[in-house]
Amino acid sequence: MARLRTEPVAIVAAGVVTPLGDVDAFWSGLVTGTDAISRIERFPVDDLRVGLGGEIKKLKRERRGGCRASQLLFAAADDLLARAHLDAAPPRVGVVLGTALGGVEEGEKALAGDPSARRTAAALYDGPARALARRLGCRGPALTVSTACASGATSLGVAADLLRADAADLIVAGGYDILCRFVMRGFDALRSLTRDRVRPFDRRRSGLLLGEGAALVLMARDRDARGRRLGRLLGHASAGDGTHIAAPDPEGRGLASAIRIALAEAEVGPDDVDFVSAHGTATPLNDRIETAVLKRVLGARAGLIPMNSIKGALGHTMGAAATLEAIMCLLASREGVVPHTVGLEERDPECDLDYVTTAPRAARPRVSLSTSLGFGGCNAALVLEGDAR
Amino acid sequence: MTGSEVAAVGVVTGWGQSAVALPPDAVRAAAGRRVIAVEPPRAAGERFRRATRECLLGVAAVEALLREASLGPEAIRGDETALVYVTAAAYGSSNRAFIQAIASSTLHFPYTAPSAVPAEVAIEFGLTGPYVILIGGAAATIDGLWQATLLLRRGQCRRALVLAVETFAECEDLWARGRWLVRPPLVESAACALVVPGPWRATYAPAPAPSPLEALARARAGETLACAPLIALALARAAGDAGPVMLTGEWRGRRAGLAWEAH
Repeated sequence: MARLRTEPVAIVAAGVVTPLGDVDAFWSGLVTGTDAISRIERFPVDDLRVGLGGEIKKLKRERRGGCRASQLLFAAADDLLARAHLDAAPPRVGVVLGTALGGVEEGEKALAGDPSARRTAAALYDGPARALARRLGCRGPALTVSTACASGATSLGVAADLLRADAADLIVAGGYDILCRFVMRGFDALRSLTRDRVRPFDRRRSGLLLGEGAALVLMARDRDARGRRLGRLLGHASAGDGTHIAAPDPEGRGLASAIRIALAEAEVGPDDVDFVSAHGTATPLNDRIETAVLKRVLGARAGLIPMNSIKGALGHTMGAAATLEAIMCLLASREGVVPHTVGLEERDPECDLDYVTTAPRAARPRVSLSTSLGFGGCNAALVLEGDAR
Repeated sequence: MTGSEVAAVGVVTGWGQSAVALPPDAVRAAAGRRVIAVEPPRAAGERFRRATRECLLGVAAVEALLREASLGPEAIRGDETALVYVTAAAYGSSNRAFIQAIASSTLHFPYTAPSAVPAEVAIEFGLTGPYVILIGGAAATIDGLWQATLLLRRGQCRRALVLAVETFAECEDLWARGRWLVRPPLVESAACALVVPGPWRATYAPAPAPSPLEALARARAGETLACAPLIALALARAAGDAGPVMLTGEWRGRRAGLAWEAH
């Protein structure tokens, strides 16, 4: 198929709220190997097998608040706006957010007896993105993407498309999700949650733990960014498995396809990739399949590329995860350090790549590959280029 | 060729199969009913034993598309077909069932994700190409149609399915609370458009006012949220209009437009 060349898109700045804190605390927590998993306190978990998660304990609530998901987004936006300005006309500023859960906790409250129309409307999955757009005064396109746990990658891709098509001049893009009873009950019932710690690629790994957070980046056409940027999105792609409603394809065909297309769009080959941020959920299946796919797609180069997963530190933050991981890639380039994989101590013989373990590694990746998988066979890949200092 | 066109549209609504089944005036035909439910689609065997109604509707819409286009399923199988899925509300019933423990089994939880509908469609038809899921009403479907044209232009696929599904019956009481969001009758629908390379240039922009097709789809079908632009396309095609087309769609105060025009 003939391909249209796609121009890179600048990632100007980032803002987050995570169990570790804002962008600065997120980064310092990753490089110091902080484990942000704790007992969940915000809602009852006594009836669940596992009551642990990456919960944000302190969150500044705005008086004209909205739901917790919106509050997370507002906190991340405050962090973002402390680092960059939305210097474009409001109709030319868009919002593209990814989420796996949207406002589902508001749905729980509405069904538990709160009859207010506002609560019911907030239960729609696109409610938090609209709330953020309103708060920021953005009057451009406001889109919600929901490719399950790949949402935070897909949203950056859709945002890049909007910029390239001149549908906006700036986009606040990213992902979010909250810990709530709904999702804890679901993953608990699936027996996906570990009672141990999260151990990506470790031979003792026994499952994931969930986390919450919001991660935003400000994106602009590279030619408009006027030199101020954290890095660039060179390529992105998604591909479906078409095999199972909840489990990844055993051969990882969708993930392989997404990586190949993203690399082609970025016009880079395996030898150009300096770092891989893996989805790395620490489920037995995911980590084995992801390793096999990377070896297949990147060939001999795969074993030479430093790789990590940050889910051991934060838990799986669902819709926020891929954007957080993209930000981590760009910060690694800027700071010259690749954070290690918290929880990985005894490597699984089937997971035999160059995972960064025990301590952060001095490296300054230029080109990073970030992979994501989600329920429904959603796979996504991002190719990012950091701006070294 | 960097242009595109809509090759076929499959439609299933509470009014019946295809756009031909739509009444001339949905409000009059509803006769005061708030929700026009769709007949449960035929459950296609053991594989679908856990599938939700919205998943089955998604499959039914693709089957309707294939009938409309006189194509077999092999024509869309594989990694050269992109799948763009849009919904404003079709996760509501599965979320409610899980929250209220009507369906709290281990295996129900994955069906609460909006991605469950395109997943079942992808499994059923062997779709392994690019994949986008957008949440929102008709404006998001315009975004989705535009995404389909981009995927074609970028060479990431040879064809794209743009699928929308909306169900209301299980959450009728909740929709009654959010009256300002929707205007009855709420008509359960599933629709799927096949977008292929073609002669028309797609232009995507905010729209200041509803297009005649948007108004026609609203009048004929009622409130179908994300399905509305696809129903509008089906109506245009049923009227013999396969040429330049101007589509608009609105959701929660945002109206997007997509024009397919001559180069």
